[in-house]
Amino acid sequence: MAVLGIESSAHTMGIGIVDDGKVLCNVKRMYKITNKGLIPARVADFHSEGVGELLAEALEAAKIGIDDIEAVGYTAGPGLGACLRVGKVAALTLSKRLGVPIMPVNHAVAHIEIAKWHLKMKNPLALYVSGGNSQIIGMIDKPNRHYHIYGETFDVGVGNMIDSFARYAKLNPAWGSTVAKVAEGGRYIEMPYTVKGMEFAFSGLLTNAQKLIDAGRSAKDVAYSLQETAFSMLCEASERAMMLMGSKEVLICGGVAQSGRLKEMASIMCKSHGAKFGVAPDEYNADNGAMIALVAEKMFRSGQKVKDDDITVKQKYRIDSVKVNWR
Amino acid sequence: MKVVAEGAEAIVYDTELDGIKAFMKRRIQKKYRIEAMDTRIRTKRSRNEAKIIAIVSKAGINAPKLIMFDGYDIYMSPVNGRKLAEISGSLALFGKVGAMLGKLHNAGVVHGDYTPANIIVDNGDPYVIDFGLSEMTNAAEEKAFDVLLMKRSAAKASYLRFLEGYKSESSDAKVVLERLVIVEKRGRYQSRTLT
Repeated sequence: MAVLGIESSAHTMGIGIVDDGKVLCNVKRMYKITNKGLIPARVADFHSEGVGELLAEALEAAKIGIDDIEAVGYTAGPGLGACLRVGKVAALTLSKRLGVPIMPVNHAVAHIEIAKWHLKMKNPLALYVSGGNSQIIGMIDKPNRHYHIYGETFDVGVGNMIDSFARYAKLNPAWGSTVAKVAEGGRYIEMPYTVKGMEFAFSGLLTNAQKLIDAGRSAKDVAYSLQETAFSMLCEASERAMMLMGSKEVLICGGVAQSGRLKEMASIMCKSHGAKFGVAPDEYNADNGAMIALVAEKMFRSGQKVKDDDITVKQKYRIDSVKVNWR
Repeated sequence: MKVVAEGAEAIVYDTELDGIKAFMKRRIQKKYRIEAMDTRIRTKRSRNEAKIIAIVSKAGINAPKLIMFDGYDIYMSPVNGRKLAEISGSLALFGKVGAMLGKLHNAGVVHGDYTPANIIVDNGDPYVIDFGLSEMTNAAEEKAFDVLLMKRSAAKASYLRFLEGYKSESSDAKVVLERLVIVEKRGRYQSRTLT
Protein backbone atom coordinates (compact mmCIF):
# COMPACT_ATOMS: atom_id res chain seq x y z
CA MET A 1 0.00 0.00 0.00
CA ALA A 2 1.31 3.45 -0.85
CA VAL A 3 0.65 7.17 -1.11
CA LEU A 4 1.28 9.11 -4.30
CA GLY A 5 2.17 12.80 -4.50
CA ILE A 6 2.08 15.20 -7.44
CA GLU A 7 4.15 18.36 -7.53
CA SER A 8 3.55 21.02 -10.18
CA SER A 9 4.02 24.42 -8.55
CA ALA A 10 6.49 25.76 -11.10
CA HIS A 11 8.59 24.39 -13.95
CA THR A 12 8.91 20.87 -12.58
CA MET A 13 6.23 18.23 -12.58
CA GLY A 14 7.18 15.49 -10.20
CA ILE A 15 5.49 12.32 -9.01
CA GLY A 16 6.66 10.49 -5.94
CA ILE A 17 5.36 7.39 -4.22
CA VAL A 18 6.03 6.60 -0.58
CA ASP A 19 5.12 3.74 1.66
CA ASP A 20 5.38 4.06 5.41
CA GLY A 21 7.88 6.91 5.18
CA LYS A 22 9.96 5.11 2.57
CA VAL A 23 10.40 6.71 -0.85
CA LEU A 24 9.60 4.13 -3.55
CA CYS A 25 10.10 6.46 -6.47
CA ASN A 26 10.69 10.10 -7.30
CA VAL A 27 10.35 10.89 -11.00
CA LYS A 28 10.13 14.25 -12.71
CA ARG A 29 9.83 16.16 -15.97
CA MET A 30 11.20 19.65 -16.22
CA TYR A 31 10.03 22.43 -18.52
CA LYS A 32 13.06 23.80 -20.29
CA ILE A 33 13.61 27.33 -19.01
CA THR A 34 15.02 29.96 -21.33
CA ASN A 35 16.90 33.02 -20.20
CA LYS A 36 13.70 35.05 -20.54
CA GLY A 37 11.96 33.30 -17.65
CA LEU A 38 8.77 31.31 -18.10
CA ILE A 39 5.17 31.81 -19.16
CA PRO A 40 2.91 29.99 -16.65
CA ALA A 41 0.27 28.97 -19.22
CA ARG A 42 2.89 27.32 -21.47
CA VAL A 43 4.35 25.45 -18.52
CA ALA A 44 0.88 24.32 -17.49
CA ASP A 45 0.32 22.93 -21.01
CA PHE A 46 3.64 21.11 -20.79
CA HIS A 47 2.62 19.58 -17.45
CA SER A 48 -0.79 18.42 -18.62
CA GLU A 49 0.66 16.83 -21.75
CA GLY A 50 3.17 14.87 -19.72
CA VAL A 51 1.29 13.83 -16.62
CA GLY A 52 -0.08 10.50 -17.97
CA GLU A 53 3.29 9.29 -19.10
CA LEU A 54 4.94 10.41 -15.88
CA LEU A 55 2.35 8.53 -13.82
CA ALA A 56 3.08 5.32 -15.72
CA GLU A 57 6.80 5.88 -15.21
CA ALA A 58 6.28 6.42 -11.46
CA LEU A 59 4.26 3.23 -11.00
CA GLU A 60 6.84 1.26 -12.92
CA ALA A 61 9.74 2.72 -10.92
CA ALA A 62 7.95 2.03 -7.63
CA LYS A 63 7.06 -1.47 -8.81
CA ILE A 64 3.46 -1.15 -7.66
CA GLY A 65 0.08 -1.28 -9.35
CA ILE A 66 -2.29 1.65 -9.50
CA ASP A 67 -4.69 -0.13 -7.13
CA ASP A 68 -2.02 -0.11 -4.40
CA ILE A 69 -2.49 3.65 -4.04
CA GLU A 70 -4.27 4.46 -0.76
CA ALA A 71 -4.26 8.23 -0.99
CA VAL A 72 -3.19 10.96 -3.39
CA GLY A 73 -1.53 14.26 -2.52
CA TYR A 74 -0.92 17.34 -4.64
CA THR A 75 0.76 20.69 -4.17
CA ALA A 76 -1.94 23.20 -3.27
CA GLY A 77 0.50 26.15 -3.15
CA PRO A 78 2.37 28.38 -2.98
CA GLY A 79 3.17 28.44 -6.67
CA LEU A 80 1.95 29.49 -10.10
CA GLY A 81 -1.83 29.14 -10.36
CA ALA A 82 -1.93 27.67 -13.85
CA CYS A 83 0.70 25.05 -13.00
CA LEU A 84 -0.79 24.16 -9.61
CA ARG A 85 -4.19 23.51 -11.20
CA VAL A 86 -2.75 20.82 -13.49
CA GLY A 87 -1.48 18.87 -10.49
CA LYS A 88 -4.75 19.34 -8.65
CA VAL A 89 -6.86 18.10 -11.55
CA ALA A 90 -4.59 15.07 -12.04
CA ALA A 91 -4.75 14.21 -8.34
CA LEU A 92 -8.50 14.69 -8.20
CA THR A 93 -9.04 12.49 -11.23
CA LEU A 94 -6.89 9.77 -9.73
CA SER A 95 -8.58 10.05 -6.34
CA LYS A 96 -12.09 9.79 -7.86
CA ARG A 97 -11.16 6.92 -10.13
CA LEU A 98 -9.52 4.92 -7.35
CA GLY A 99 -12.00 6.00 -4.68
CA VAL A 100 -9.19 7.11 -2.31
CA PRO A 101 -8.76 10.31 -0.28
CA ILE A 102 -7.04 13.41 -1.70
CA MET A 103 -4.67 15.59 0.37
CA PRO A 104 -3.80 19.21 -0.48
CA VAL A 105 -0.16 19.72 0.54
CA ASN A 106 1.69 22.95 1.25
CA HIS A 107 4.86 23.12 -0.84
CA ALA A 108 7.02 24.71 1.88
CA VAL A 109 5.90 22.15 4.48
CA ALA A 110 6.89 19.43 2.02
CA HIS A 111 10.40 20.82 1.49
CA ILE A 112 11.00 20.96 5.23
CA GLU A 113 9.47 17.57 5.98
CA ILE A 114 11.51 15.69 3.39
CA ALA A 115 14.74 17.29 4.62
CA LYS A 116 13.76 16.47 8.24
CA TRP A 117 13.01 12.92 7.20
CA HIS A 118 16.26 12.47 5.31
CA LEU A 119 18.38 14.04 8.06
CA LYS A 120 16.48 12.31 10.86
CA MET A 121 15.99 15.59 12.71
CA LYS A 122 13.27 16.05 15.32
CA ASN A 123 12.55 19.75 15.61
CA PRO A 124 14.95 21.72 13.44
CA LEU A 125 14.99 25.38 12.55
CA ALA A 126 14.59 25.49 8.78
CA LEU A 127 15.96 28.03 6.37
CA TYR A 128 13.74 27.60 3.33
CA VAL A 129 15.29 29.23 0.30
CA SER A 130 14.02 28.92 -3.25
CA GLY A 131 13.16 31.10 -6.23
CA GLY A 132 10.09 32.73 -4.79
CA ASN A 133 10.56 32.04 -1.08
CA SER A 134 13.06 32.87 1.63
CA GLN A 135 11.84 32.13 5.13
CA ILE A 136 13.12 31.04 8.52
CA ILE A 137 10.70 28.52 9.92
CA GLY A 138 10.27 26.45 13.06
CA MET A 139 7.49 24.27 14.42
CA ILE A 140 5.67 25.47 17.53
CA ASP A 141 2.79 23.91 19.44
CA LYS A 142 0.82 26.99 20.48
CA PRO A 143 -2.00 27.88 20.04
CA ASN A 144 -2.10 24.76 17.87
CA ARG A 145 0.75 22.97 16.18
CA HIS A 146 2.00 24.81 13.13
CA TYR A 147 5.09 26.01 11.35
CA HIS A 148 5.85 29.51 12.54
CA ILE A 149 7.71 31.98 10.36
CA TYR A 150 10.39 33.67 12.45
CA GLY A 151 11.65 35.84 9.67
CA GLU A 152 11.40 36.23 5.94
CA THR A 153 12.22 38.40 2.97
CA PHE A 154 10.44 41.74 2.84
CA ASP A 155 10.46 41.66 -0.95
CA VAL A 156 11.74 39.01 -3.37
CA GLY A 157 12.97 35.46 -2.83
CA VAL A 158 16.74 34.97 -2.92
CA GLY A 159 16.62 32.60 -5.91
CA ASN A 160 14.64 34.94 -8.14
CA MET A 161 16.91 37.79 -7.10
CA ILE A 162 20.01 35.86 -8.19
CA ASP A 163 18.32 34.77 -11.44
CA SER A 164 17.35 38.38 -12.19
CA PHE A 165 20.95 39.41 -11.70
CA ALA A 166 22.13 36.60 -13.97
CA ARG A 167 19.80 37.79 -16.75
CA TYR A 168 20.87 41.40 -16.28
CA ALA A 169 24.56 40.46 -16.42
CA LYS A 170 23.81 38.33 -19.54
CA LEU A 171 25.13 35.16 -17.94
CA ASN A 172 24.21 31.98 -19.73
CA PRO A 173 22.25 29.98 -18.64
CA ALA A 174 20.81 32.68 -16.41
CA TRP A 175 20.45 31.00 -13.07
CA GLY A 176 22.13 30.43 -9.71
CA SER A 177 24.69 27.76 -10.55
CA THR A 178 26.07 29.96 -13.35
CA VAL A 179 26.36 32.89 -10.94
CA ALA A 180 28.20 30.62 -8.51
CA LYS A 181 30.63 29.54 -11.22
CA VAL A 182 31.26 33.09 -12.44
CA ALA A 183 31.76 34.27 -8.84
CA GLU A 184 34.73 31.97 -8.25
CA GLY A 185 37.83 34.03 -7.59
CA GLY A 186 35.92 37.34 -7.55
CA ARG A 187 36.87 40.30 -5.37
CA TYR A 188 34.62 41.84 -2.78
CA ILE A 189 32.78 45.07 -3.53
CA GLU A 190 30.75 46.68 -0.73
CA MET A 191 27.01 46.22 -1.35
CA PRO A 192 23.80 46.95 0.63
CA TYR A 193 23.38 44.46 3.47
CA THR A 194 19.81 44.61 4.76
CA VAL A 195 18.98 42.56 7.82
CA LYS A 196 16.55 43.72 10.46
CA GLY A 197 16.45 41.22 13.28
CA MET A 198 15.23 38.05 11.60
CA GLU A 199 13.89 39.79 8.50
CA PHE A 200 15.82 40.72 5.40
CA ALA A 201 15.38 42.36 1.99
CA PHE A 202 17.07 41.77 -1.36
CA SER A 203 15.77 44.37 -3.81
CA GLY A 204 18.30 47.04 -2.78
CA LEU A 205 21.08 44.54 -3.29
CA LEU A 206 19.83 43.63 -6.77
CA THR A 207 19.49 47.27 -7.85
CA ASN A 208 23.01 47.95 -6.61
CA ALA A 209 24.39 44.94 -8.51
CA GLN A 210 22.68 46.11 -11.70
CA LYS A 211 24.16 49.59 -11.29
CA LEU A 212 27.62 48.10 -10.84
CA ILE A 213 27.21 46.13 -14.08
CA ASP A 214 26.07 49.34 -15.84
CA ALA A 215 29.14 51.08 -14.49
CA GLY A 216 31.31 48.46 -16.20
CA ARG A 217 32.47 46.54 -13.11
CA SER A 218 33.44 42.94 -13.81
CA ALA A 219 30.58 40.46 -13.68
CA LYS A 220 32.88 38.16 -11.69
CA ASP A 221 33.37 40.65 -8.86
CA VAL A 222 29.71 41.67 -8.78
CA ALA A 223 28.50 38.06 -8.82
CA TYR A 224 30.88 37.18 -6.02
CA SER A 225 29.86 40.12 -3.85
CA LEU A 226 26.15 39.64 -4.51
CA GLN A 227 26.32 35.99 -3.53
CA GLU A 228 28.46 36.60 -0.45
CA THR A 229 26.19 39.43 0.72
CA ALA A 230 22.88 37.62 0.16
CA PHE A 231 24.00 34.38 1.81
CA SER A 232 25.59 36.19 4.77
CA MET A 233 22.28 37.99 5.33
CA LEU A 234 20.40 34.68 5.33
CA CYS A 235 22.88 33.15 7.78
CA GLU A 236 22.74 36.10 10.14
CA ALA A 237 18.93 36.12 10.30
CA SER A 238 18.92 32.34 10.81
CA GLU A 239 21.51 32.63 13.54
CA ARG A 240 19.33 35.07 15.44
CA ALA A 241 16.27 32.81 15.10
CA MET A 242 18.33 29.84 16.18
CA MET A 243 19.44 31.59 19.36
CA LEU A 244 15.91 32.77 20.08
CA MET A 245 14.51 29.26 19.71
CA GLY A 246 17.48 27.59 21.35
CA SER A 247 17.61 25.21 18.35
CA LYS A 248 20.19 22.46 18.35
CA GLU A 249 19.39 21.41 14.79
CA VAL A 250 19.32 23.55 11.67
CA LEU A 251 18.57 22.55 8.10
CA ILE A 252 18.39 24.40 4.83
CA CYS A 253 15.99 23.31 2.12
CA GLY A 254 14.50 24.49 -1.18
CA GLY A 255 16.15 25.04 -4.55
CA VAL A 256 18.84 27.45 -3.31
CA ALA A 257 19.90 24.90 -0.68
CA GLN A 258 21.79 23.27 -3.56
CA SER A 259 24.32 26.12 -3.42
CA GLY A 260 27.69 24.96 -2.16
CA ARG A 261 28.65 28.31 -0.70
CA LEU A 262 25.39 28.69 1.25
CA LYS A 263 25.85 25.19 2.68
CA GLU A 264 29.38 26.04 3.70
CA MET A 265 28.38 29.29 5.43
CA ALA A 266 25.42 27.77 7.26
CA SER A 267 27.59 24.91 8.41
CA ILE A 268 30.23 27.30 9.82
CA MET A 269 27.50 29.27 11.57
CA CYS A 270 25.97 26.17 13.19
CA LYS A 271 29.36 24.79 14.20
CA SER A 272 30.15 27.99 16.13
CA HIS A 273 27.06 27.32 18.27
CA GLY A 274 27.51 23.58 18.58
CA ALA A 275 24.34 22.94 16.59
CA LYS A 276 23.82 20.09 14.15
CA PHE A 277 23.56 21.22 10.55
CA GLY A 278 22.16 19.33 7.62
CA VAL A 279 20.94 19.56 4.09
CA ALA A 280 19.18 16.91 2.02
CA PRO A 281 20.52 15.70 -1.35
CA ASP A 282 19.78 17.93 -4.36
CA GLU A 283 17.10 15.54 -5.57
CA TYR A 284 14.93 16.61 -2.61
CA ASN A 285 15.84 20.31 -2.65
CA ALA A 286 14.80 20.73 -6.25
CA ASP A 287 11.01 20.53 -6.57
CA ASN A 288 9.92 16.91 -6.45
CA GLY A 289 6.92 14.64 -5.98
CA ALA A 290 8.35 12.49 -3.19
CA MET A 291 8.12 15.33 -0.68
CA ILE A 292 4.44 15.85 -1.53
CA ALA A 293 3.77 12.12 -1.15
CA LEU A 294 5.61 12.08 2.17
CA VAL A 295 3.47 14.85 3.66
CA ALA A 296 0.27 13.49 2.08
CA GLU A 297 1.02 10.21 3.85
CA LYS A 298 1.52 11.97 7.19
CA MET A 299 -1.80 13.80 6.72
CA PHE A 300 -3.56 10.62 5.64
CA ARG A 301 -2.18 8.45 8.47
CA SER A 302 -2.95 11.11 11.09
CA GLY A 303 -6.57 10.87 9.98
CA GLN A 304 -6.87 14.34 8.50
CA LYS A 305 -10.30 14.97 7.01
CA VAL A 306 -10.33 16.96 3.81
CA LYS A 307 -13.51 18.81 2.83
CA ASP A 308 -14.42 19.47 -0.81
CA ASP A 309 -13.78 23.18 -0.23
CA ASP A 310 -10.19 22.41 0.75
CA ILE A 311 -9.46 20.80 -2.60
CA THR A 312 -8.24 23.93 -4.24
CA VAL A 313 -5.06 25.78 -5.17
CA LYS A 314 -3.75 28.87 -3.39
CA GLN A 315 -1.00 30.79 -5.14
CA LYS A 316 0.02 32.45 -1.88
CA TYR A 317 -0.57 29.53 0.48
CA ARG A 318 1.44 30.51 3.57
CA ILE A 319 3.11 27.83 5.64
CA ASP A 320 1.92 29.36 8.92
CA SER A 321 -1.71 28.81 7.93
CA VAL A 322 -1.26 25.02 7.67
CA LYS A 323 -2.65 22.94 10.52
CA VAL A 324 -0.11 20.26 11.45
CA ASN A 325 -1.43 17.02 12.88
CA TRP A 326 1.80 15.08 12.95
CA ARG A 327 5.17 15.29 14.69
CA MET B 1 35.33 39.37 32.48
CA LYS B 2 32.01 37.89 33.44
CA VAL B 3 29.46 37.36 30.67
CA VAL B 4 26.19 39.16 31.41
CA ALA B 5 24.35 38.28 28.23
CA GLU B 6 25.03 36.55 24.96
CA GLY B 7 23.20 37.44 21.78
CA ALA B 8 23.55 36.32 18.20
CA GLU B 9 25.92 39.10 17.25
CA ALA B 10 27.38 40.36 20.52
CA ILE B 11 28.41 39.40 24.02
CA VAL B 12 27.91 41.72 27.00
CA TYR B 13 30.57 41.56 29.72
CA ASP B 14 30.64 42.90 33.27
CA THR B 15 33.85 44.88 33.56
CA GLU B 16 35.52 47.99 34.93
CA LEU B 17 36.95 50.99 33.17
CA ASP B 18 39.32 53.12 35.27
CA GLY B 19 37.64 51.88 38.41
CA ILE B 20 34.13 52.59 37.13
CA LYS B 21 31.75 49.65 36.84
CA ALA B 22 30.68 49.15 33.26
CA PHE B 23 29.06 46.76 30.83
CA MET B 24 30.98 46.18 27.65
CA LYS B 25 29.13 45.05 24.54
CA ARG B 26 31.47 43.43 22.04
CA ARG B 27 30.39 42.53 18.51
CA ILE B 28 31.94 39.20 17.72
CA GLN B 29 33.50 38.09 14.48
CA LYS B 30 31.32 35.96 12.25
CA LYS B 31 33.44 33.42 10.44
CA TYR B 32 30.76 32.66 7.87
CA ARG B 33 31.13 36.18 6.45
CA ILE B 34 34.22 37.14 4.48
CA GLU B 35 36.44 39.30 6.65
CA ALA B 36 36.10 42.57 4.73
CA MET B 37 32.31 42.40 4.93
CA ASP B 38 32.28 41.30 8.56
CA THR B 39 34.59 44.12 9.66
CA ARG B 40 32.53 46.70 7.84
CA ILE B 41 29.24 45.49 9.31
CA ARG B 42 30.51 45.26 12.88
CA THR B 43 32.14 48.69 12.72
CA LYS B 44 29.11 50.35 11.20
CA ARG B 45 26.67 48.82 13.63
CA SER B 46 28.78 49.52 16.71
CA ARG B 47 29.24 53.14 15.70
CA ASN B 48 25.52 53.53 15.04
CA GLU B 49 24.61 51.94 18.35
CA ALA B 50 27.04 54.09 20.34
CA LYS B 51 25.64 57.22 18.73
CA ILE B 52 22.07 56.23 19.58
CA ILE B 53 22.93 55.33 23.18
CA ALA B 54 24.42 58.81 23.55
CA ILE B 55 21.29 60.46 22.11
CA VAL B 56 18.99 58.39 24.32
CA SER B 57 20.94 59.30 27.48
CA LYS B 58 20.78 62.97 26.51
CA ALA B 59 17.00 62.76 26.12
CA GLY B 60 16.70 61.65 29.75
CA ILE B 61 15.34 58.20 28.95
CA ASN B 62 15.97 55.29 31.34
CA ALA B 63 18.71 53.44 29.50
CA PRO B 64 22.42 52.66 29.79
CA LYS B 65 24.67 55.73 29.47
CA LEU B 66 27.54 55.73 27.00
CA ILE B 67 30.97 55.69 28.66
CA MET B 68 33.26 54.90 25.77
CA PHE B 69 33.25 53.48 22.27
CA ASP B 70 36.21 51.64 20.82
CA GLY B 71 36.04 49.74 17.53
CA TYR B 72 33.65 46.85 18.12
CA ASP B 73 33.32 47.55 21.84
CA ILE B 74 30.80 49.81 23.53
CA TYR B 75 31.26 50.59 27.23
CA MET B 76 28.14 51.74 29.05
CA SER B 77 26.80 52.19 32.55
CA PRO B 78 25.41 48.92 33.92
CA VAL B 79 21.66 48.38 34.12
CA ASN B 80 20.73 45.77 36.68
CA GLY B 81 17.36 44.20 37.36
CA ARG B 82 15.13 41.61 35.79
CA LYS B 83 13.81 41.33 32.29
CA LEU B 84 10.17 42.30 31.89
CA ALA B 85 9.83 39.05 29.94
CA GLU B 86 10.69 37.08 33.09
CA ILE B 87 8.39 38.82 35.59
CA SER B 88 4.66 39.40 35.58
CA GLY B 89 4.80 43.14 35.14
CA SER B 90 1.92 45.19 36.60
CA LEU B 91 -0.37 47.17 34.32
CA ALA B 92 1.09 50.41 35.67
CA LEU B 93 4.53 49.21 34.62
CA PHE B 94 3.31 48.62 31.05
CA GLY B 95 2.01 52.20 31.08
CA LYS B 96 5.54 53.37 31.86
CA VAL B 97 6.98 51.11 29.15
CA GLY B 98 4.61 52.72 26.64
CA ALA B 99 5.51 56.23 27.79
CA MET B 100 9.20 55.35 27.46
CA LEU B 101 8.71 54.29 23.83
CA GLY B 102 6.90 57.59 23.22
CA LYS B 103 9.94 59.48 24.54
CA LEU B 104 12.30 57.42 22.38
CA HIS B 105 10.25 58.18 19.28
CA ASN B 106 10.13 61.87 20.18
CA ALA B 107 13.94 61.80 20.29
CA GLY B 108 13.89 60.45 16.72
CA VAL B 109 14.97 56.96 17.79
CA VAL B 110 13.24 53.79 16.63
CA HIS B 111 14.31 50.87 18.81
CA GLY B 112 13.79 48.02 16.35
CA ASP B 113 13.32 45.28 18.96
CA TYR B 114 11.07 46.77 21.63
CA THR B 115 9.99 43.55 23.33
CA PRO B 116 9.74 42.50 27.03
CA ALA B 117 13.14 40.81 26.63
CA ASN B 118 14.74 44.22 26.14
CA ILE B 119 13.08 45.99 29.07
CA ILE B 120 14.88 45.69 32.41
CA VAL B 121 12.88 46.43 35.54
CA ASP B 122 14.78 47.88 38.48
CA ASN B 123 12.92 49.04 41.61
CA GLY B 124 9.66 49.22 39.68
CA ASP B 125 11.11 51.39 36.93
CA PRO B 126 11.63 50.15 33.37
CA TYR B 127 14.93 50.63 31.51
CA VAL B 128 15.32 50.00 27.81
CA ILE B 129 18.43 48.16 26.62
CA ASP B 130 19.98 46.82 23.42
CA PHE B 131 20.02 49.41 20.67
CA GLY B 132 21.61 46.96 18.27
CA LEU B 133 18.75 47.23 15.78
CA SER B 134 17.94 50.88 16.42
CA GLU B 135 17.80 53.63 13.85
CA MET B 136 17.46 57.38 13.80
CA THR B 137 14.24 57.99 11.92
CA ASN B 138 10.89 59.71 12.21
CA ALA B 139 9.15 57.37 9.78
CA ALA B 140 5.70 56.37 11.06
CA GLU B 141 6.15 52.94 9.48
CA GLU B 142 9.23 52.14 11.59
CA LYS B 143 7.61 53.51 14.74
CA ALA B 144 4.51 51.41 14.09
CA PHE B 145 6.73 48.30 14.01
CA ASP B 146 8.01 49.12 17.50
CA VAL B 147 4.41 49.25 18.74
CA LEU B 148 3.49 46.10 16.81
CA LEU B 149 6.33 44.10 18.39
CA MET B 150 5.01 44.87 21.87
CA LYS B 151 1.49 44.07 20.75
CA ARG B 152 2.64 40.66 19.55
CA SER B 153 4.57 39.83 22.71
CA ALA B 154 2.41 41.24 25.55
CA ALA B 155 -0.96 40.10 26.92
CA LYS B 156 -3.93 42.15 25.74
CA ALA B 157 -4.61 44.10 28.96
CA SER B 158 -0.89 44.90 29.29
CA TYR B 159 -0.77 46.04 25.70
CA LEU B 160 -3.73 48.37 26.18
CA ARG B 161 -2.03 50.06 29.14
CA PHE B 162 1.17 50.24 27.12
CA LEU B 163 -0.77 52.00 24.39
CA GLU B 164 -2.22 54.53 26.86
CA GLY B 165 1.28 55.31 28.06
CA TYR B 166 2.53 55.63 24.50
CA LYS B 167 -0.28 58.02 23.52
CA SER B 168 0.33 60.19 26.58
CA GLU B 169 3.96 60.77 25.61
CA SER B 170 4.44 60.38 21.85
CA SER B 171 3.96 63.57 19.86
CA ASP B 172 2.84 61.72 16.73
CA ALA B 173 0.94 58.82 18.28
CA LYS B 174 -2.06 59.42 16.03
CA VAL B 175 -0.08 59.03 12.78
CA VAL B 176 1.85 56.04 14.14
CA LEU B 177 -1.27 54.18 15.26
CA GLU B 178 -2.99 54.85 11.94
CA ARG B 179 0.07 53.37 10.27
CA LEU B 180 -0.09 50.37 12.59
CA VAL B 181 -3.55 49.54 11.24
CA ILE B 182 -2.15 49.55 7.69
CA VAL B 183 0.87 47.44 8.65
CA GLU B 184 -1.31 44.87 10.37
CA LYS B 185 -3.64 44.63 7.40
CA ARG B 186 -0.80 43.26 5.30
CA GLY B 187 -1.54 39.57 5.23
CA ARG B 188 1.79 38.29 6.40
CA TYR B 189 1.62 40.17 9.68
CA GLN B 190 -1.93 39.04 10.35
CA SER B 191 -0.99 35.40 10.13
CA ARG B 192 2.15 35.97 12.13
CA THR B 193 0.60 37.38 15.28
CA LEU B 194 1.16 34.69 17.87
CA THR B 195 -1.47 35.52 20.47
